[in-house]
Amino acid sequence: MNLEPLLRLDRVIHEKGRMGIMSMLAASADLSFTELRDALEMTDGNLTTHIRTLQEAGYVSVTKSFQNHRRLTTCSLTRAGRRAFANYINLLEEVVRQSKPKPP
Amino acid sequence: MESNWAAEHLQAIRTLMERSALYRRALAPVMTANGVLGALAAAIGLMARVEAPRAFLGYWMAVALAAVAGSFLLARRQALKDAEPFWSPPTRRVAQALAPSLFFGFVLGLLLAALEPALRPGAGAALGLFWLPLVWIALYGCALHAAGFFMPRGMKIFGWALVLASSLLGAIGAFGFLEEWIRPPLFGHSLMGLVFGLAHLAYGIYLYFTERRGNEP
Repeated sequence: MNLEPLLRLDRVIHEKGRMGIMSMLAASADLSFTELRDALEMTDGNLTTHIRTLQEAGYVSVTKSFQNHRRLTTCSLTRAGRRAFANYINLLEEVVRQSKPKPP
Repeated sequence: MESNWAAEHLQAIRTLMERSALYRRALAPVMTANGVLGALAAAIGLMARVEAPRAFLGYWMAVALAAVAGSFLLARRQALKDAEPFWSPPTRRVAQALAPSLFFGFVLGLLLAALEPALRPGAGAALGLFWLPLVWIALYGCALHAAGFFMPRGMKIFGWALVLASSLLGAIGAFGFLEEWIRPPLFGHSLMGLVFGLAHLAYGIYLYFTERRGNEP
């Protein structure tokens, strides 16, 4: 088994909570803080911490606005975030592919 | 061992991406616009005395087509505004879930309109102005329930509510309770206006106030 793809996995994404956030955002143009929190069943504090980490890595952008007189926080993937997530998926697929028995 | 772990990760990612891709586009405007259309159509139908079964069927099928076309236009408008593709995977899934029940309801309307002259006058009126609206509502409820698997949770509840209301009214009608009130054509237009008008309007207003609530931690 070649462990090289495993070693190349992005450590920022390769954490359960952050992988969940990246997966959700990869399938949507943007998601609100509430939608992410409810879908991933995270606490406010936990989600805030993970989003901050992803923001610092340049993978997620956060927009704050007002709607119906309430503050609304929306998150979306940056171009770098989409690229990093695509690489992460490719590496996982590589690991799965390598493990399949080669045809004789 | 590593491959199992990687496969599990990929599966988790796929599940999360599917969950994230729920259809949310223009739900409040679509519900509100359809509510206004349904309520207006019922009022016009009652005032213009659209009472013959065939006229009633044709009238409400035309309203339904207008509602479907209007919904597509509203969803397309929001997609253009947000610079997103209109025929996105969530939109496709919702359309596919809605299609069978709506199609069957439309075919049923056409068949009844075609067969109505051959029926006894009382039977035609009862089928066209009482039973078919109930079946339409139940089918519409089934369509919303099916689409609800790709939409926010409230849609499935709305679908179930329509199916239950239709069943209850059917039972009341079948056993002859409230005969004075449940009488075509007043019942047909009133029921269509109540369900396709006021219920949609109420749900649309609810969505306006609950979608994207303030969400600061």
